[in-house]
Amino acid sequence: MKIIVAIKQVPERDAQVRINAEAKWIEESGLQYALNESDAYALEEALQLKEKHGGEVVVLTAGPERVGPTIREALAKGADRAIHIDCADLGNRDALGVAKLLAAAVKPENPDLVLTGLQSDDLGLGQTGVILAELLGLPHSSLILHVEKTDTGLTVKRELEEGWFRTIELPLPAVLTIQSGGNKLRYATLMGIKRAKTKEVRTVTAAEFAVDSVPVAVLERVALPQKQKSTQILPGNPKEAAAALVEKLKFEARVL
Amino acid sequence: MLALTATLAEPEHFSLAEKLLLVVLVAASAAGFWRRFGVVLDKILKSKKDPSFHLFPIGKRVWDFVCEVLFQTKVIRQRPLPGLAHAFVFWGFCAFAVVTLNHFAVGLGISFLNPAGFFGRFYTYFAAVFAIACAIGISGLFVRRFLVRPKWLGKKLSWESGFIAFLIFLLMVTYLASFFVSDADPTTRILWWIHSLAILIFLVIIPHTKHLHLILSPATVFLSRGGFSQIPPLVGDEDFGLIAGTDLTRLTSLQVYSCVECGRCTEHCPAANTGKLLNPKEVILNLRGYLNDLGPASDTPLMESLAAPQVPFQCTTCGACEFQCPVGIEHVPIIVGLRRGAVNTGAWEDEYGSKLFLALERGANAHGLPASERDKFIEKQGLPIFDGTQEYCLWLGCMGGYDPKGREIIADFARVMNYLGTSFGVLRKEKCCGDPVRRLGNDLVFQQLAESNLEVFEQNKAKKIVSICPHCVRTIQEDWKEFGAPPTVEHHSEFLARHADKLPKQANGETIVFHDPCYLGRYRDVYEQPRTVVGLAGELVEAPRNHERSFCCGAGGGLVFLGEETGERVSQVRAAELVATGAKTVGTACPFCNSMFRDALAEKGEGAPQLLDIAQLTARGLPARGAS
Repeated sequence: MKIIVAIKQVPERDAQVRINAEAKWIEESGLQYALNESDAYALEEALQLKEKHGGEVVVLTAGPERVGPTIREALAKGADRAIHIDCADLGNRDALGVAKLLAAAVKPENPDLVLTGLQSDDLGLGQTGVILAELLGLPHSSLILHVEKTDTGLTVKRELEEGWFRTIELPLPAVLTIQSGGNKLRYATLMGIKRAKTKEVRTVTAAEFAVDSVPVAVLERVALPQKQKSTQILPGNPKEAAAALVEKLKFEARVL
Repeated sequence: MLALTATLAEPEHFSLAEKLLLVVLVAASAAGFWRRFGVVLDKILKSKKDPSFHLFPIGKRVWDFVCEVLFQTKVIRQRPLPGLAHAFVFWGFCAFAVVTLNHFAVGLGISFLNPAGFFGRFYTYFAAVFAIACAIGISGLFVRRFLVRPKWLGKKLSWESGFIAFLIFLLMVTYLASFFVSDADPTTRILWWIHSLAILIFLVIIPHTKHLHLILSPATVFLSRGGFSQIPPLVGDEDFGLIAGTDLTRLTSLQVYSCVECGRCTEHCPAANTGKLLNPKEVILNLRGYLNDLGPASDTPLMESLAAPQVPFQCTTCGACEFQCPVGIEHVPIIVGLRRGAVNTGAWEDEYGSKLFLALERGANAHGLPASERDKFIEKQGLPIFDGTQEYCLWLGCMGGYDPKGREIIADFARVMNYLGTSFGVLRKEKCCGDPVRRLGNDLVFQQLAESNLEVFEQNKAKKIVSICPHCVRTIQEDWKEFGAPPTVEHHSEFLARHADKLPKQANGETIVFHDPCYLGRYRDVYEQPRTVVGLAGELVEAPRNHERSFCCGAGGGLVFLGEETGERVSQVRAAELVATGAKTVGTACPFCNSMFRDALAEKGEGAPQLLDIAQLTARGLPARGAS
């Protein structure tokens, strides 16, 4: 089975995010970058499928030169080769624009399966994978926690609201967007990093694909959330305080 | 017929037949020796070279050799009675070297020591004193092995050891008896031949048994890796640690063949003493079995020779085994080497381990908490940021930056530094020093953390670092060397002890039992400084196992992050020992020990002693805040 995993490099979870001068995006200088979390789970799913059924795992990413370490990390964890779409203006492209780039790179590869994370940790649109499926004309399913290969195609476990799951069968080739937490991630190893050195990374420029880069959706403004403090101290003895807490959890927070 | 002639008797004349017989026997014995010793030597020399090995500085090697080999200091200090018995046997052997050479020379008619001459008489008497001591010593060791039978020597009685003891005893008795006969006496000839045969049989037995340590261990002690628990760097693109025989280095193989099977390592091992599978002596003997059966060119996984694959991962890296070993085996680098082989290739699968590695691949601390938590603590505590103008850079570490109890220790230590008027600052950004991944054998993450931290120090030019964590101190000072030049680091016990005269003495009579952290004591040789600090805060009480024999808290080697242990908890065993001293307070000097005992003591309920770090013990004696 030939699997393509589309991954994205995003600011590190611990990063101190600042807004850039135009208030259109975050200030990228001085930021540390890492592999998007749900993409890491997509890669893990692909690696496990390869371990069970054989085949090839190709990672695909669009982004500027700084995505290099993230590509190497994916190769170190076990991907066989990588395709890097070199494009410095990722921030100016909307989900459709990015999906067009990815689709152009995926098509000639003719994969059996395309996996990607559910959404990116920076923009959180959750659109790219789904649009990619549409552009490729392939069946898709989102929010996937588990993938099982069958004789005819795939059986996937999809997450619904409130702890419900849905099992879906779909044919191959297909596109799936993977939810975090379905598998246990493997850790990167020294051997993986050393082996990754000799693996193929093919770089293509966004211009080569000649896809339309004019966004249909434009980011108007980005802002940091306002800090809100709403701590309440419940008065009275422990019994009264506990009763008041239950009341609030039931009717204000509605979690009970 | 027997009368003290005051001179060592030697047979008067050897016939040609006798001489020929002697030559044949000596040759046969030497051949028997070489047949086995040659094989062992070949296995050691065919092992991989140790690229990081340097003979210099040679002074320390000579010093260790003189102390540990010639004066048998470690053997005696750690097991006084058997140690002394062993030392007598060893010194007896040394004194006998000349006598033995002359003994065979007499047989060939080329004697060089005249027992009736001035020097000869002196030397044979000198050797006789050692012969008596050696005979007593070997008898004592015989009694210990066959009658006392300490469990560390193993369940199986070693008959070869009994036979060796008998041979040594026979050698001494035949030598001493020769003082009671005259040269012409036929008994002299019989004694001479018995003595010769005993030596020749002994020579053959040496390489076939653990008595190989007679020849190898002086070399092993001299050729140590040069420091306590020195983890050698990986070299080239195909070195991931100890995976197969091809990864065993000459030093490792030499150490493995030097093992004398005394079991001191296991006697002091926290894992072996709390029902784990790990038994350091067995690990060494398993590797010896591997070398014997498969050799240093084998591709068979080393793990297959161990009792179970989890064995190396039960080690707290407390180093008690390595510290105790009288023949210079460095257990910790071997155990960490086995972990490296499993972790660097991804073969080790452990839920907690993976979680820790992923947390440190991405984040900055072993707890997997966002770095902003550390920033909040710094802000709340009002800790100054290091800007190059302050004298000290206070390293928080994962425990000091993120753990509630660790933060209390930092807060109190900062108070003491302020009281002393010492300027300091903390780093704006600090990553885990890498201790847990270093000891668990994840070289990739360790390198990333070490390099990233070294870069920070390179930029801010900090000269003096002080830390509340012995693990950070050790890792920064020694382990980072593989990737750059680390700044000078000291533990807060060293800092506090140096300022002891400026700190108030608390005359409260409170009894405080001090627990030596492994990474401060055995790893850094710092024992007295924390005791000085404890002495200021109350009355120091010693635990039954203290100083270099301190029993681990169970946290080291990354184990604190690996979830529940099998068997008894190491921390509970040690905590019970500390509680039994009756001290009102348990004094610690490591945030990991503190964390382990916090849980173990909580189970003791109301009557449990209070638990305080030396920084907290010091801070409580300072005048209240705001008072002048």
